[in-house]
Amino acid sequence: MARELTLAGAINEALHVAMQADPDVILLGEDVAGGGEREGDVDEMGGVLGITRGLVKAFPGRVLDTPIAEMGLLGTAVGAAATGLRPVAELMFNDFLGVCLDPLLNQAAKLRYMFGGKARVPLTVRTSTGAGMQAAAQHSQSLYGITTSIPGLKTVIPATPADAKGLLLAAIRDDSPVVFCEPKGALGVRGDVPEGDYEVPLGVAALAREGADVSLVGMGATVHMALEAAAILEDEGISAEVLDLRSLQPLDEDAILATLEKTGSLVVVDEATPRCGIASDVAALCVDRGFDFLNTPVRRVTAPHTPVPFSKVLEDAWRPNAQDVVEAVRGLS
Amino acid sequence: MATPVRMPRLGMTMTEGTVVDWPVPVGERVEKGETVVVIESEKNEAEIEATASGFFRHVYVEPGETVPCGTVLAAIAEAPDEPFDVEAFRRENDLAEPQASAPAAARAPLSAGGRPAPARSGRRAPVAPAARALARKLGFDPAEIPGTGPGGRVTKQDVEAWAVRRETLVEATDGVRLEVPTQGQGDPLLLLPGFGSDVSSFSLQASALATRHRVLGINPRGVGASDAPALDVYDVAQAADDAAAVCPESAHWVGASLGAAVALEAAIRHPQQVRSLVLITPFVEVTPRLGAVTDAWCRVASDASTETLARMLLPWLFSERFLGDVKARERTLRGLAATVARVPATTLERSAAGLHAWSGTRGDALARIELPTLVLVAGGDLLTPGGEAIAQAIPNARSVVVPEAGHALAIEAPGAVNEAIAEHLASVGG
Amino acid sequence: MDLTRDQLLGAYRTMRMIRSFEDKLDELVKLGKLGGFLHLYAGEEAVATGVCAHLGDGDVVCSTHRGHGHCIAKGVSVDGMMAELFGRSTGICKGKGGSMHIADMDKGMLGANGIVGAGIPLATGAALTAKLKKTGGVAVAFFGDGASNQGQFHESLTMASNWKLPVVYVVENNGFGEFTPTDFVVPVKDIAERAGSYAMRSEIADGMDFFDVYEKAGQALAAARAGEGPTLLECKTYRFRGHFVGDPLVYRSKEESEDWIQNRDPLPTFETRVVEAGLVEVEALRCVDGEVAEELAAAVDAAEAAPLPRPEDVLSDVYVEA
Repeated sequence: MARELTLAGAINEALHVAMQADPDVILLGEDVAGGGEREGDVDEMGGVLGITRGLVKAFPGRVLDTPIAEMGLLGTAVGAAATGLRPVAELMFNDFLGVCLDPLLNQAAKLRYMFGGKARVPLTVRTSTGAGMQAAAQHSQSLYGITTSIPGLKTVIPATPADAKGLLLAAIRDDSPVVFCEPKGALGVRGDVPEGDYEVPLGVAALAREGADVSLVGMGATVHMALEAAAILEDEGISAEVLDLRSLQPLDEDAILATLEKTGSLVVVDEATPRCGIASDVAALCVDRGFDFLNTPVRRVTAPHTPVPFSKVLEDAWRPNAQDVVEAVRGLS
Repeated sequence: MATPVRMPRLGMTMTEGTVVDWPVPVGERVEKGETVVVIESEKNEAEIEATASGFFRHVYVEPGETVPCGTVLAAIAEAPDEPFDVEAFRRENDLAEPQASAPAAARAPLSAGGRPAPARSGRRAPVAPAARALARKLGFDPAEIPGTGPGGRVTKQDVEAWAVRRETLVEATDGVRLEVPTQGQGDPLLLLPGFGSDVSSFSLQASALATRHRVLGINPRGVGASDAPALDVYDVAQAADDAAAVCPESAHWVGASLGAAVALEAAIRHPQQVRSLVLITPFVEVTPRLGAVTDAWCRVASDASTETLARMLLPWLFSERFLGDVKARERTLRGLAATVARVPATTLERSAAGLHAWSGTRGDALARIELPTLVLVAGGDLLTPGGEAIAQAIPNARSVVVPEAGHALAIEAPGAVNEAIAEHLASVGG
Repeated sequence: MDLTRDQLLGAYRTMRMIRSFEDKLDELVKLGKLGGFLHLYAGEEAVATGVCAHLGDGDVVCSTHRGHGHCIAKGVSVDGMMAELFGRSTGICKGKGGSMHIADMDKGMLGANGIVGAGIPLATGAALTAKLKKTGGVAVAFFGDGASNQGQFHESLTMASNWKLPVVYVVENNGFGEFTPTDFVVPVKDIAERAGSYAMRSEIADGMDFFDVYEKAGQALAAARAGEGPTLLECKTYRFRGHFVGDPLVYRSKEESEDWIQNRDPLPTFETRVVEAGLVEVEALRCVDGEVAEELAAAVDAAEAAPLPRPEDVLSDVYVEA
């Protein structure tokens, strides 16, 4: 049975399911309860974007507001994960990765390896990514390229509500540290979400749309840009296939190569900046292992190599959109 | 060790030469650099120098004899009395190449595989990896395949289209297969394109004709997807035989320029297969200007892009009036570039050789052609101005002059051309 | 003092093992037998030993780049540690961690750590686990005076205080943060003062005296186990050797270090105390010295003879396989 939820609502539901099923699952982060455990006529915020509302009431003592201390909070979460809890830590905006990179980079990602396989860090880090809210340069980045590049971490990003729920449940249950990205540009997307407990496996991409002439590869909010572009291209007689990566590490390389083989043309859309990112990673894969499938160059539609501007007209120009994808496809022939 | 004196190849088109004189008597000493034989080829005499000093030992070919280039003519020995096996020496040193120039000469063997010519003249076009992989799988050389992608890139679709074209080739003569795009139903009508052109040069005629005829466009050797055997010359008679093999039934033969020459050859060699002739801007002799333009055509095709080649050709093929219409000119430029792109430089050279070899050989034969003939003359034709005379020489011929039009008559004045042809076909009875 | 003879011998054995281990490493490095960066704990034995004497396998310890002493004190196998330093597949981390990442989760040793201060939040997290899962365990973070300047120190102590976590933060103030004297970079005279910012208990111990450390650590750990929250325990100590093996020590006066080494060595200090108090005989201590030397020599021999990891081992243990 399915009903329609927003992507944000689906995340909330996943957290409920996870915490219900396993008492070791705890939430910690800044304002994750947001006032829920106070006396008096106050209510909880449930996070800056309201995603964790209701959880502190449902699971008292397991939803912990922390000080604004990302390094301490992430590091504590790592220590807790290594010693028997299954924490879901929230990094409110992935832009704050700067102040807490070490617990992820040098601790969570590496304890298992450095300790010869004896440690286990079943940590999940929920974090919001992407632009589109005029939140400006320090609150609008998409830094999943950094976490994807760190061996020992996994990184996932859903585009649909159903996937958000299933992917988060899978991430929480994964015994390796997983960064779960919540794309701001897609939090309001509505879709059918199955009830109950289910998982979307990590490392498996999904075809959001089938097509024959060109492959559009996206993640998170850019999947919706690609779908919009596909509709426009349809009217021009170009049949576009849209692949939703869902998982950045592990990356479903076979799915990427399969769609490239089918169409011979691939455009990857990423709302991150262009250097050393997922788009380049995918393009390199195509050239390395899909060389004989290439009928046209691989195009990367990304943001420009600049910080994110504030003014709406500038942010709109900065952020890739469906029209950019359409033009990239047209420019292939 | 003796040194051979061979019939040299003095020019690209020279295939044989005639010995005129032996200035050094047999047995005498000859110095390196001294004239050892005088030969004649293509109406030019040449003095050939000895490549080694020694004693003039033996003559194999007497004055007046014509032999192919590479044939051993004589031997220069180191010492006057060293042992010398006449036949063995000739055999070991013979480099005579296959003959292909004269119509009656034996046909040359084909190169293996019946491969088409490289599609691109000048720079090499990029090939998409998927296209390369498919071409490899199908056994094609991507360099043979015309590319429609950006920058002339050969795409996978281009390879697929090429495969289809190559599959539908028709057998002509000597195992050579030609591309013969065919449309329409009815009695057969052949379209024979001119020098450096393919069947698309008749694009403004083909569909009109196809309403009442089965139209076979014949891309000759080395043009489009047709096989391009590695011969020095693609001669006119061979082209006529090829077309006759493709269409054994009696057909109307419509040829433009060099294609008209092919049609004339067919009318002479295979008259029972030619129901009527339509000769568009024909020639029987290559004028100096036509020769120069043909030569420039070959060079530019080799060195520059097809767009540059098309720009160079425009003023030679079209009238002043047409050139004054900027829109028509630019439009035509694109089509012309696409057409000439389908004929690579090697084919051009071979066709030019054939064209020159044929020139002047059939002037007298015109009077013996009894078939109903239409000659279309372009009033502003810079390259083949002798059309009226041809119409007069052929007994059953009639000429139609399109005033102020250029040599590429079928492209410049399609209305007039189509009307004239339709009238001609009607009068012939189909 | 309520320590039994066995406990006293055990403490001595631990300290002797730590000292001998570190001295042996220095020797091996100079023989060119060990690679990587080594940071030796010689001189600080009393701190690790005094604190860990109160801990069991269910308690978690986080350490620093100077972690061999804490590992030995927490019961990690000396054979395993030596093999790890030799990069063998029989090492406690299969040769994949090295000196700065020696760990044994089975013994509650959540690792030495190459990042200054990184163990502090990790221990805080372990304490959170203990509290939420009600294991009765405690966590101890060992770190140096330099680490007390790290942001994650302040953040962790803040959270531990807010949540009253069962953790003891042991700062080993050895007077130097790498090559810089502590008083150049720490504005307070005693690092223990910093606890005031977090409304946290604090204590100062003489890090060169096992008994002082043992007593004060005992109190702090008891408070933690009783749910009274964290303590910041500052142990004043001294690092006998350089920051790392190969450190020319030009930033320290020879006079000063000689004074500490000759007069404040925790091993002779311990020995004098227990012998004079008649708690342990000198011969017993010498016996322990002999056993430790033998055990260590055997560990070195075993490590040198042990197999090296295979190249394929590079790829394992990155993720937990499903």
